[in-house]
Amino acid sequence: MENLIRRYGRGLTGIFVLLVGFWLLMLVILPNFAMFEQSFRPYLPVTEIGGPRDVYSLNNYAKFFDAPVEWSLFGITLMVPVHVLSFLQTIFYSALCTVIALILSYPLAFYLAKIASPQSLPTLLLLLFIPLWVSEALRAFAWYVILTFNGPLNQLLMWLGLIDQAIRWQQGVLTNFDAIVIVMVYCYVLFMLLPIYTSIQSLDTNQIEAAEDLGAPWWRTHLRVVIPHAKPGIASGCVMVFMLSAGSLLVPTVVGSTRANWFPQTIYTWFNDSQDWQTGAAYSMIFLLLCIVFVILMLRLFRVSLSDIAK
Amino acid sequence: MTPANSTLNRRRFLKGSAAGAGILAAPAIISSKALASSGEVNFVGWAGYPVLSEKVFPAFTAATGIKVNFKEMPDQDTMFAEAKVALQAGGIDVIEPTIDRWGGWNANGLLQPFDESKLAMDNYLPGLADGSAGERSRKDGQLFYVPSNWGTEALVVNTATAKLSSPPSLGDLFNPENPAVLRPHSTLAAMGRWLEAQGKLPRPWMDGYTDMAAMAELWDIALAEAIKAKGNVVQWWSGENEANAGFTANGAAIGLCWDSTGFNLRNDGYAYIAPVEGAFAWHQGFVLMKNAVNVEQAHEFVKFVSTPEGSAMWATAFSSNPVGKGSSEFLSPEVSAYYAGTFNDEALAKLWWWPEQTAEFIAKRSEYADKYKAA
Repeated sequence: MENLIRRYGRGLTGIFVLLVGFWLLMLVILPNFAMFEQSFRPYLPVTEIGGPRDVYSLNNYAKFFDAPVEWSLFGITLMVPVHVLSFLQTIFYSALCTVIALILSYPLAFYLAKIASPQSLPTLLLLLFIPLWVSEALRAFAWYVILTFNGPLNQLLMWLGLIDQAIRWQQGVLTNFDAIVIVMVYCYVLFMLLPIYTSIQSLDTNQIEAAEDLGAPWWRTHLRVVIPHAKPGIASGCVMVFMLSAGSLLVPTVVGSTRANWFPQTIYTWFNDSQDWQTGAAYSMIFLLLCIVFVILMLRLFRVSLSDIAK
Repeated sequence: MTPANSTLNRRRFLKGSAAGAGILAAPAIISSKALASSGEVNFVGWAGYPVLSEKVFPAFTAATGIKVNFKEMPDQDTMFAEAKVALQAGGIDVIEPTIDRWGGWNANGLLQPFDESKLAMDNYLPGLADGSAGERSRKDGQLFYVPSNWGTEALVVNTATAKLSSPPSLGDLFNPENPAVLRPHSTLAAMGRWLEAQGKLPRPWMDGYTDMAAMAELWDIALAEAIKAKGNVVQWWSGENEANAGFTANGAAIGLCWDSTGFNLRNDGYAYIAPVEGAFAWHQGFVLMKNAVNVEQAHEFVKFVSTPEGSAMWATAFSSNPVGKGSSEFLSPEVSAYYAGTFNDEALAKLWWWPEQTAEFIAKRSEYADKYKAA
């Protein structure tokens, strides 16, 4: 704060603080608090709001555990509430998206930061950024077109003679979530690449050379020198890709198979089909809370602290 | 604020404003409101259909001299709340809910019946104000609800590839040879009605809409059967574009879709067919407020929307179907040929009107839809 005042003077600093305060309070805290408050109230006809039945309860949260369905996991059939199942699948496949995005991004980030020549770097970054110029809705829809039954992918493969019958890619070849995972990785991979790129860039190249001079094989150099240094970037990239994937409504709605239900779609159903905003709010709260818990657990597991990411 | 206070305030306010109005142009202000009946009708209807104010009301005023005071509301819950206020405060004559809602409105003491002698019941197409819809428009023989426009959800089929039974049935949606584009909750209702038509349900499907225990029993059966038949579903739709893409991009041969989907695909080898069990249909119409002041004008207004021209204009404003006989000449010829191709008098008489679905029912329905989607 003192730095800020010294640099910009009292007036400008005051405006900054007010604007940030307004943004935090009016656009983040109050709306979330309103949802939190609504989530404990029952869904009632307009005329009964504020009436005797409008009392706080945990009923909306209890709905999360209603409606068990069969779920077979490794050959064992379990009864799991349908929304819990959607939640678990959403978390699992979001984590999968995160891992795939990491595997794709790390080598590329290392190449950009340490190997690519400085002259070609702007061109390479530009090429990576071009997809971001198109809105996410259009990118998802483009993938929908590619993956459809009568789409260009099937036509190309059939023309090449690799397949003789069109494949329903959208329904999934390996799992019911194939299409969602492909498109999410495509949409969010840059959110992984850029933080890793920045953090590898700040690594002194001498350290890599020193490791090589001392006879470390290439994989040990990465394991012992590059990755520990890039850890905050990797962690923030993972958190971003995970939260963006788990919270995406657009991608699963556009490309999802008929057997995949993403948790935000469940929330959307409560708000839009059932018109039950209160239960929708409760589900949003559950989702927010459990995702935060999951992320914190993962950060613990990989021994990254939040302050590392903030740097 | 207690009621006593509020009357006091209101009275004081009225006195004050009357005095003020007296000084200004009192006669002009008082006369239009004070006369029991005048050349106007106060109508509360749906927001978002600008053609009503642009074309339909002026045409009505030109034909009858009655002016329409239109208040737009986003949904029926808001209309209901507004009507409850108007029961004390006045100011509403006619409202436009859907057929499944007026029963609850009437139970709240909001409505009075129409005088049939002042309407023209012969104007309506068969099946819309008579038959099962007619029964659901009446209570104790009195007519509380008259239709204004309607729409359907039925089979859109690829005429070249779909395997249809003869006559076409809702069961064709579950034929494993027909790739299908569906929306979960109406598919479950279609399964229920198909099972009922084959006599495979322990009790009438309609029971589920009034009794939640029956709903669980019936929807469990429909869900189990629908999950068994789920293999042919290639895409879900929730709006027009997805439904369209399900056919064109994902090669569905059959779907349970809105009439507009079939209309948009009519030149690409698809047909819109009413199943033998009867197409799903929705219905909205007019009700008369208990304390309506402009009763004569309200009847004129309602009657206007049953005339060939009036019903065509009303349907066009909502992009839906008209309720009046002879309205087709006022619609575009392509649209009227399309509807006539799907709905002959028999199919019209068989329409299955969506029953009332309470908030509790819809929440449960969404749960079944989620189970069906996740299976």
